[in-house]
Amino acid sequence: MPEPPNGPFPRPGRRAVLAVAAVGLSTALTGTLSACSAASGDTSGITLRFSWWGNDDRAARTEKAVRLFEKEHPGVTVRTSNGDFGSYLQKLATQAAGGGVPDVVQLDYRQISQYASGKAIMPLDGVIEDRTIRTSDMDKDFLRTGTYTGGQFALPMGRGITGYAYDSAVYKKAGIPTPRPGWTWQDWAKANRKIAALGLKSPDGRPYTGSNDGGDNEDVFETWLRSRGKNLYANQTKLGFTEDDLTAFWSFRDRLRREGAIAQARDTVQAKSTETSPIGRRLAAADFTWDAPFPGYTALLGEDIHFAPVPTTDGRQGAYFKPSMLLGIGSQSGHPKEAAQLIDFLLNDPRAGDILGFSRSTPPNRKIAARVAKTLEGPEREIYDYAQTMEKYGLDAPPTAPPPGDLAIQTALKRGYQRVIYGMATPRQAARELIDEANRELES
Amino acid sequence: MRVTSTVSTTRAPERAARTTRSRPRKSKRRQIREQQWPAYVFLSPWMIGAVVLTLVPMAVSLYLSFTDYNLFDPPHWVGLRNYREMLTEDPRYWRSVGTTMLYVVVAVPLKLGLALGVAMLLRNLSRGRGFYRSAFYAPSLLGASMSIALVWKALFNDGGTVTDVLDSVGIHTGGWVGNPDLAVYGIVLLTVWQFGAPMVIFLAGLQQISPDLYEAAALDGASRLRQFVSITVPMLSPVVFFNLVLEVINSFQVFTPAFAVSGGDGGPADSTMFYTLYLYERGFTASHMGYAAAMAWLLLIAIGAITLILFRTSRSWVFYADEEGR
Repeated sequence: MPEPPNGPFPRPGRRAVLAVAAVGLSTALTGTLSACSAASGDTSGITLRFSWWGNDDRAARTEKAVRLFEKEHPGVTVRTSNGDFGSYLQKLATQAAGGGVPDVVQLDYRQISQYASGKAIMPLDGVIEDRTIRTSDMDKDFLRTGTYTGGQFALPMGRGITGYAYDSAVYKKAGIPTPRPGWTWQDWAKANRKIAALGLKSPDGRPYTGSNDGGDNEDVFETWLRSRGKNLYANQTKLGFTEDDLTAFWSFRDRLRREGAIAQARDTVQAKSTETSPIGRRLAAADFTWDAPFPGYTALLGEDIHFAPVPTTDGRQGAYFKPSMLLGIGSQSGHPKEAAQLIDFLLNDPRAGDILGFSRSTPPNRKIAARVAKTLEGPEREIYDYAQTMEKYGLDAPPTAPPPGDLAIQTALKRGYQRVIYGMATPRQAARELIDEANRELES
Repeated sequence: MRVTSTVSTTRAPERAARTTRSRPRKSKRRQIREQQWPAYVFLSPWMIGAVVLTLVPMAVSLYLSFTDYNLFDPPHWVGLRNYREMLTEDPRYWRSVGTTMLYVVVAVPLKLGLALGVAMLLRNLSRGRGFYRSAFYAPSLLGASMSIALVWKALFNDGGTVTDVLDSVGIHTGGWVGNPDLAVYGIVLLTVWQFGAPMVIFLAGLQQISPDLYEAAALDGASRLRQFVSITVPMLSPVVFFNLVLEVINSFQVFTPAFAVSGGDGGPADSTMFYTLYLYERGFTASHMGYAAAMAWLLLIAIGAITLILFRTSRSWVFYADEEGR
């Protein structure tokens, strides 16, 4: 064995050895790390991530269906996460940027083109072809809402329509007739004034009003526009309404709010879910909403809450059927097969259908919808009948899918109207600003 | 990696030995240089982190600020359009600048004032100082978290404790969170409540001031106020300056409380739409990452400029004891 070198040299030598050891150690570390990630790919313990938005009622039903799926697929764990719509979209965009879209993800109609073109969700044509996801019982035209340049990227979970949840007991007390499909915005204004005139108080002692405001809600604005023969968007790069339209819409509501007939500013800005809406806080008798969350209203407020059509302009109804939400698979998913199985289970399994009911509007699978409809009662029966009634009443053709910029315009509308109700801008000023912002959004 | 390192370890002694004989001065420098590389190896985790997690993202962000990038499609070059739009066409940009300035101008002096005040009280405390110091410091550890911001929201919401207490004494706010005139002050209070961190620094600074100075002043008949103005303030000015710079930089970047309290939308009516929150909204709600990146760069430049101004003005009011004799 050679003698170790003497003099001034052993020190760097020893350091070098240490350095090599350090480098070796760090490779060892990264080695274990990659071993870790390899281990998670093992089929014995698959974890799927599944995220959606919705109220408590939908959350409870979804959890129940997911637990049943887990029971039938031993070794598959589904980690769920949900939130309210606004924060859900932001979170998803953040995840998409990092390539971390959940395995199974609930998407909004207006996200499909962006997420599909940006390859954040994967094409489903393969899993549909090999019948991992069965679509034979679904309406072909309706399935098209989840396509992008010919490929199927997402599957609709329900067919939704806007409506109006109202407290029938209060309406009776105020002597207002039950809202019919042809009731007008003027009828609505009158009803709100009558309710305010009752002089009822909320639990915290404030005046009880007729309805939530809705001026900050793009869906309400769209229904109002359509009832006047217009649309939100003329095409993918152009608005379908003018400054005058928006000014009229906001002025009408602004006046009612000042009279005390509809919810006050502070309650409008705090409304972010069924629970925090004016009706949910027992500050108002009604709320503009969709059919899917309606059962959540009766669960929260009792059987007196009923579902009525959105008011019309001279009998022209602005509501339309729209995919309430869609399901897709994140393109980075490590388990696309299991993710597809979960989607198939949620859409096509009769037991899942029974559990989910109409919590995401009418199920797209016709057999499930018919099966569930037979057993429906209470609020779910009501929204099912409502959809039938509206179909019979006659609705204008649905608009084409909104442009991706719609997400920004939706928040701009909300913010613009907040400026109106706090007196920071007149309806016209705010409308002008929104149109400028929307045009910038659409041309970029 | 292993191969090269063994090679250089065996060769280094020979080379060093050779050069020692011929050119002694240079060889020493060279030897030092050759002895430095293990240091770099040990530093490498940090350096890799700095490059991969800071420098590269910064460069990418600078590039993106000149592009139109929606996260999904590849970015495309638009030159200075983002900057031009921000400065000339976007009224919300300037409103967010105004809101942020208001916040900085109100929150920073309040926080530092409170921190100094409590530090002065604690300095003369003989018993339980450690306890109080920790107690006042605790909010600084918790305050940046989402959960505290949510608690804050619940307190100041319509029907929240603070709102109810104010109602009971006849001040009807209708909930700070839902009131565009008050929402920002709710967030200011949350920030001021976290005065513990600058307080601890002030306390350390106060303990550095020699008691002799106060004794001498007291002998000369200086009042407490006089002592504060003539001794404490100048002796503490470097610490004040340090805290000021730190707080200003932090305050310009306030995000979490506004995000949590407003539910992510900077509402009501943009009243809590701070610069960073608007940046986030542009980037992640509206999917204009290029625009958001441009905003980030202007913020960096603005904070840099303000810090520079603070440093310039500091020459006239910050007193460094060690420069006294020069």
